Amino acid sequence: MDIVVCIKQVPDPEHFSKIVLDAKTKLVRREGIPVVVNQVDKHALEAALQIREKFSGRVTVISMGPPQAREAIEEAFAMGADGGVLLSDRAFAGADSLTTAYTLAQAIKKFSPFDLILLGNETADSGTRQVAPQLAEFLDVPHVTNVRTIGFNSGDTLIVERSMENGHMKIEVRLPAVLAVNRTINEPRIPSVIDIMQVATKEIKVCGLADLGLSSEDVGLVGSPTQMANLFESRRERRREILDGAAVTAARQAVERLRELNAL
Amino acid sequence: MDFSFSREQEMLKKAVRGFAESNVAPRVPELEQKGAFPFDLVKGMGQMGLLGLTNSRPYGGTGMGYMARTIAIEEVSRIYPSLGFFFQAGNLFMFAVEGFGSEDQKRKYLPDLCKGTKISSFGVTEQMGGSDPSAMMTTSKLDGESYVVNGRKSFITNVEVADTLGFVAKTGDSFSVFFVEKGTKGYEVTRREPRPGLRCMPVNELVFSNCKIPKGNLVGEEGRGMAIAITTISVIGRTGAAGVALGAAQGAFEGAAKFCNGRVMYGKPISNLQAIQFMLADMSTDIEASRWLCYRPAWLLDQGKNPREIGPDIARSKLFAVDMALRTCLKAQEVMGAYGQSPEYRVEIFLRDAIELLTAGGTQEIMRLTVGRALAS
Ligand SMILES: Cc1cc2nc3c(=O)[nH]c(=O)nc-3n(C[C@H](O)[C@H](O)[C@H](O)COP(=O)(O)OP(=O)(O)OC[C@H]3O[C@@H](n4cnc5c(N)ncnc54)[C@H](O)[C@@H]3O)c2cc1C
Ligand SMILES: Cc1cc2nc3c(=O)[nH]c(=O)nc-3n(C[C@H](O)[C@H](O)[C@H](O)COP(=O)(O)OP(=O)(O)OC[C@H]3O[C@@H](n4cnc5c(N)ncnc54)[C@H](O)[C@@H]3O)c2cc1C
Repeated sequence: MDIVVCIKQVPDPEHFSKIVLDAKTKLVRREGIPVVVNQVDKHALEAALQIREKFSGRVTVISMGPPQAREAIEEAFAMGADGGVLLSDRAFAGADSLTTAYTLAQAIKKFSPFDLILLGNETADSGTRQVAPQLAEFLDVPHVTNVRTIGFNSGDTLIVERSMENGHMKIEVRLPAVLAVNRTINEPRIPSVIDIMQVATKEIKVCGLADLGLSSEDVGLVGSPTQMANLFESRRERRREILDGAAVTAARQAVERLRELNAL
Repeated sequence: MDFSFSREQEMLKKAVRGFAESNVAPRVPELEQKGAFPFDLVKGMGQMGLLGLTNSRPYGGTGMGYMARTIAIEEVSRIYPSLGFFFQAGNLFMFAVEGFGSEDQKRKYLPDLCKGTKISSFGVTEQMGGSDPSAMMTTSKLDGESYVVNGRKSFITNVEVADTLGFVAKTGDSFSVFFVEKGTKGYEVTRREPRPGLRCMPVNELVFSNCKIPKGNLVGEEGRGMAIAITTISVIGRTGAAGVALGAAQGAFEGAAKFCNGRVMYGKPISNLQAIQFMLADMSTDIEASRWLCYRPAWLLDQGKNPREIGPDIARSKLFAVDMALRTCLKAQEVMGAYGQSPEYRVEIFLRDAIELLTAGGTQEIMRLTVGRALAS
């Protein structure tokens, strides 16, 4: 079974308080903030590794990002991924979720035959949850998001459970397919020393625009239909009103006030 | 000069931190309370390949080196110094066997010790021979195909749970290193020492009375025992104590810094008070100084330096790291007020553990002697 896992490098959520929004350029200033592999993407990788351990096959990770995103791929190697592709090119910068998915799809078509593609359900930094469905559409395969278990049927279908607000949904999916998993699916393994020492023997395939045969019109900021209209820090100010008086009257007043504020 | 970790070392640090935070941290309250040896965590460290970082591949080690070992000790001790101390006590015999033992001994003992499925300990200290091991009274006499051992050892870490004990005994006028297996007739682990710190690594006395051990249990040449023991204690014991001290200080510091950023007084976190900032600044400066003092000997060992030549570097790093850890843990308690002594905050554990390190691996005065003698000659 050939499995592709999409992983993204994100600012370490433990340092989110240090992120500064630049109101002028509308950019997020993340200098000096350490980066990590998006946590749920490690769960996606763990799921892939477990499937490989059961059915054999190959796990390839793919990431689009700046050159330093190779560290994310190295970490995936340490966990046990067999192959790694880094999509890195100035032309890819500023991609919205659509061009991210498009670029990933083109690379997967070109380099990675697949039976299954696993992603995290969302990223810690942007968290649009759009990449998986968009990727599936570009590849013309079915997809399921928010997956919490993956089971195998005979033949080429999967039975997956998708977490819902009030329970879960059981879905049969035909392979090849795209699944976006959530963090309840497993506990990602901690790499061993030997695994870490083997990272240096694995090679990362680095691809740019030309390697994918794409036009700069279709990728990155240029190719992105989404425009950033505004960027601001949301501040939630709490207002406080004290209603004194007997409980019954206060309760009536409270309902009235909430109505006035359109909260009810 | 390059002060950066290799990519491998960075990944190791992350992996060990992950292990310590998710597997060790939740166990600390229970282990502290029971004072029980954590077999499963030691096995976990073995499975990860951490116990054999300085043993070579053919014997089940990972061979990543002394810097790697220092990183692992620091990261485990940052969460729980008591477990970090296993890299000291548990690695001693492993070093002696790999460095001085026969091929058979290496193949027979090292793989299980690297995996953490078997445990070893190493006994030098006796009631009359602590800082002056040459005063030891334990004797070992060749009698046909076996040695007959008599004597007592004290303050031996993990001997209570060890499958194999390496030890030093007098053979005539000189000393030799041997080992004895658990359950051997005439070898008995006795009283457990009640200790305030390093609670999950038991420290016991042991007695040999006409204990017969096979001739093949001699490690290295007869008569070279003191040199083997001193090298082992320096390269593993002292670097271990220094690393544990460093991790303990880091853990205490982080706990204190977090507390000061969260504790609000006069309308602001107390970390806004300059007096508190100065203490935090001193702590972090002290830790950083100590860190590089610890890294350097480890790096030198990885460069293949003769351990004897860097004995004073190692002694300096242990001397400074332990004093530093004590200063830091005390300051951490101070800035936390009454919460500092509360077991809930765990900072008090670091202090109790650091106190043990004053003596383990050799006292601070012996470190000074080692440094001082090198200066005098
Ligand atoms: C300051 C800023 C401005 C932005 N502006 C816009 C904008 O105007 N319009 C817009 O659409 N987006 C914008 N983004 C989002 C950014 O482009 C996204 O990071 C990117 O499109 C991926 O979407 P996501 O992170 O929401 O992924 P999600 O859909 O939340 O991620 C799901 C999964 O997809 C995979 N994945 C996501 N990204 C990658 C990747 N690069 N490589 C490999 N796998 C990946 C991972 O498995 C991940 O868990 C902005 C982000 C920032 C930080
Ligand atoms: C937690 C812990 C674990 C231990 N684990 C082990 C173990 O696994 N194996 C093992 O063999 N031992 C172990 N020990 C014992 C340890 O190695 C000894 O305690 C240490 O060597 C000191 O010996 P001592 O306690 O007899 O002190 P002493 O040697 O009696 O020292 C008493 C005091 O005299 C000072 N002093 C001694 N000689 C000099 C000198 N020449 N100049 C100046 N001052 C001097 C010392 O610094 C100290 O302050 C452990 C100890 C502890 C606390």
